[in-house]
Amino acid sequence: MRRSSLIGITSLLLALATGAAQAHAFLDHSEPRVGNKVASPPRTVTLWFSQKLEPAFSSLTVTNAAGERVDSGKARVSGNQMSIPLRAGGAGTYHVNWHVLSVDTHTTDGNFTFQVGQ
Amino acid sequence: MSWFGAEINGPLVLTRAIHFAASATTAGAVMFRVFVAEPALRPSRDGGAILQSRMAALTWTGLAVAAVTGLVWFMLLTMSITGLGSGETIRSGAVLTVAGDTQFGLVSEMRAAFALVLAVCLVLSRFVVLRWLELAAASALVGAIAWTGHAGSTLGELGVLHLTADVLHLVAASAWIGGLFGLSILFAVGRRRSASEWELLQLDAVLRFSTLGMISVAALILSGIVNAWILVGSFRALLVTDYGQLLLLKIMAFVVMVGFAAVNRFWLTPRIALTTKTKTHTNALSALTRNTLIEIALALAIFAVVGVLGTLHPAIHLMN
Repeated sequence: MRRSSLIGITSLLLALATGAAQAHAFLDHSEPRVGNKVASPPRTVTLWFSQKLEPAFSSLTVTNAAGERVDSGKARVSGNQMSIPLRAGGAGTYHVNWHVLSVDTHTTDGNFTFQVGQ
Repeated sequence: MSWFGAEINGPLVLTRAIHFAASATTAGAVMFRVFVAEPALRPSRDGGAILQSRMAALTWTGLAVAAVTGLVWFMLLTMSITGLGSGETIRSGAVLTVAGDTQFGLVSEMRAAFALVLAVCLVLSRFVVLRWLELAAASALVGAIAWTGHAGSTLGELGVLHLTADVLHLVAASAWIGGLFGLSILFAVGRRRSASEWELLQLDAVLRFSTLGMISVAALILSGIVNAWILVGSFRALLVTDYGQLLLLKIMAFVVMVGFAAVNRFWLTPRIALTTKTKTHTNALSALTRNTLIEIALALAIFAVVGVLGTLHPAIHLMN
């Protein structure tokens, strides 16, 4: 076995140990921001994630204080960004539920709220 | 199944691990044949033919295992994504959606095409002109795995760097594991050959493998550093996260392999090169053969650990 073999095995292991790992898409930030209060109902809710998303398996729903769906139904996905238009839903606490598949094939989901009104 | 505090999909992890190992072995066997076996053993028509035949068998076996596990991986992943059973994933069209509308599906189709090209080249192996196409197809088969993992979803310029490093390390790692398999086959063939002529050719092959290893080493070190920087980020992350601790387990395996490699390089190889037809030579060759097999076993164990690591959150994500 050559000296190159020695070094090669070392780096092979280090590289394999790290290089083939995969990740999950985490929510990075959103607009409206998580837990924040906005004066009037937003026209769109937009979420940014830590990874690129798969549009076919990523979805987003928004409900108002009365528990009614106020989103348009179909989220738009581009890269690591997912957004959905809203119709007017009045004041109160809005619930956002998201379910995404990152490009590296891991699913994650989560939810948060934001306030609408004074 | 719970391991290292995380729920893992056992069948998926196992399938991925076998698929990675089979793909790397397939590509590495082609690299060993092109860069080491064919040029080194050309003077020995019989010995070269036997080795070529066995390397071809290794390549076909690796390709077959990679094809089967690739299909199983695709099905298991589709079931995991959709939460459906195997029959329902087909009836509902989810398989087609994953195949046509996801990066994983598109990369899988491309890799299947590379495997097909490689198979055709293997069938037509007597045409030397196809060697480089064969090598390209084998490298692409393993290198494209990078697009199914973390590197494929990393954002921006960092994503480009990550993909580059991942492709590089997959190809280089394949060259290494393929070389280890090739060497073990070379030694096995050598045990049935007349000593003097074969020993010189065998030494030439080991030296050529050394050159291939040098190139692999440079690529592996570079890609390993980049990947570790992106996915782990700090020494603390290595110590306090599940991902980091599993990585440490692999590094321990790595240290053991380094020990064997050090013995091979600094103790056994000089004895093989300087002595012939002596007990020292025979013992050194036996020890080198044994150590190579142990290194292969450890390398395969690494692939198994990679299968688990792929389901965990990278350490750097949990530290932010």
